[in-house]
Amino acid sequence: MSKEVTKKNTLSSAIKEQKRSYWMLVLPAVVIYLSVMAFPTIFSIVLSMTNYNGGKIFGGRVPIEFVGMKWYKLLFVDEYFYLALKNNMWIVLVSVLGQIPLGFFLAYVLYRGLVKKTDFFQTMIYLPCVISTVVIGILWKSFFSPNGAFPELVRLVNPSFEYGVSNHPILPVLFVILWMYTGTYLIIFMANLQKIDSSVIEAARIDGASEIQSLRYIILPALSGVIVVSCILAISGSLKSFDLIYVMTGGGPANQTSVLSVYMFDKAFKGAPNYPLANAISTVMVTISFLLIGLTKWAESKFGGRE
Amino acid sequence: MADIKDTKSTTARIQTVLTYAVMIFFTLMAIYPLFWLLMNSFKTTTEFQLNKLGFPKAWTLINYKDAWVRGKFPHLIINSMIYTGVTTVVTLIFSFMAGFAFAKIPHKATKLLFGSFIIGLLLTLQSIMVPLFLLINWTGLYNTRLGVLIPYIGIAMPMGIYLGTDYIKSIPNALIESARLDGASYFRIFISIIVPMAIPVGVTLAILTVTGTWNEFMLINILTSSDALKSLPVGVQKFAGALSSDFGKQFAALVIGLIPMLAFYLAFRKEITKGVAAGAVKG
Repeated sequence: MSKEVTKKNTLSSAIKEQKRSYWMLVLPAVVIYLSVMAFPTIFSIVLSMTNYNGGKIFGGRVPIEFVGMKWYKLLFVDEYFYLALKNNMWIVLVSVLGQIPLGFFLAYVLYRGLVKKTDFFQTMIYLPCVISTVVIGILWKSFFSPNGAFPELVRLVNPSFEYGVSNHPILPVLFVILWMYTGTYLIIFMANLQKIDSSVIEAARIDGASEIQSLRYIILPALSGVIVVSCILAISGSLKSFDLIYVMTGGGPANQTSVLSVYMFDKAFKGAPNYPLANAISTVMVTISFLLIGLTKWAESKFGGRE
Repeated sequence: MADIKDTKSTTARIQTVLTYAVMIFFTLMAIYPLFWLLMNSFKTTTEFQLNKLGFPKAWTLINYKDAWVRGKFPHLIINSMIYTGVTTVVTLIFSFMAGFAFAKIPHKATKLLFGSFIIGLLLTLQSIMVPLFLLINWTGLYNTRLGVLIPYIGIAMPMGIYLGTDYIKSIPNALIESARLDGASYFRIFISIIVPMAIPVGVTLAILTVTGTWNEFMLINILTSSDALKSLPVGVQKFAGALSSDFGKQFAALVIGLIPMLAFYLAFRKEITKGVAAGAVKG
């Protein structure tokens, strides 16, 4: 009888120890993560519906008032908001129509062993991705400046070229984005191509399938999931673009190259701060982020995993 | 017959040459701008104005000497090392701890907590920079090292938890159970079984965290204001970005700014590309 009681006691103390250990192991990560990422996300939604513009939250000079959708109404009639959104779309387009096909093409050539020195090509093409975006931004800003190398290079082809104000200042930015991040997609496609059983392709080739046919009927179907995920990555990558544009153009001239994140930065940190409006922009971006998460989950279930 | 064979091998040869030409073109596109930068960093600004595309006629190191001192680079590099080192070590420890609990200690909270980290993998940090700035301000951490490190660790956490939990799951349960029967505490098991066995994923995670933290610019730019706390990217932006006409010094500063990461990449390129593929496709 007493033996059973002690057994029960040790068992319950073991469960207690297990629970205590669990929380001790988990808490540091959870606390730091929730306070840095989850809390600001939720708080920006709350702040975007108030007139809070800096200072103490409680007992500040101006008591915080709830203003409803005021800032969103202002935001949705601001032409610069749409200009920023449009530039975000351009970045997505460059990724989907430029980086992804190009990255796939380069990965395919390397994977099929159509050239030697695979490792060298991969290392070099991925190289721009590892360098600090700040360095890249200043480098290209100088390269494209009126005193830089770009006008000189154009004059090699067209000697009568005069450097003037561009009608499409976003073009150099889009070019740099294409230049910088194509390597990422090369790496992603390369890793996933290597998962395809190469004996299947060899067998198809022996059976007389052409390079194009084996691409069309074996490789592309096997990569459909990765292609979908890459497109989603392209959209979230466009939301993430800040450093390069901030450094290269600062969103200028006249907000022509601004994107949502730079637009939000300007509202909060340039001139008189307008934190509620910045928080409203933040909420819009978080909403897009969450839509993308949903989209990823959907793609995952439809295409069977992200591997 | 011989004719057919010949034409076939000729087309094949043309194909190979074309493929090489295309690959070499893209490789040159990728590295030419960096090469151009390097070449011009050895020219004086006066020479650059006259000779923008060619090799330097008179090689000089004066730009590097000036930039190194005036840009306070030794200080910036030490700061970046502190931020990157602390973030990486703390991220590794915290994510292994939580990863161990999520993977091996059954608890009903795991589903919710682990799920929230997975959402964090996809949440764009840029979208919360203003609320994060306000939060750091309220807590009095604005313009302190801790006010930079805490967000850095928090941001690195989702990837750490994801990779850590996934890997620790593959460690056999029998090992942990037999240690439990021998009376080992979970803390003891963590130190003597989990940590040594998770070293491979630790390397991947460390490399992802180092590259991410070293190049981070947006947050540290808004969370600090004093020179003493600046990291390398912020220092490069403030120094080189302001030199809009003194190209020689600007180029030298940019080269100094890219050398640490370039060296890191060339040393660990296999691990970096592996980590990027794992991180990107999952995140």
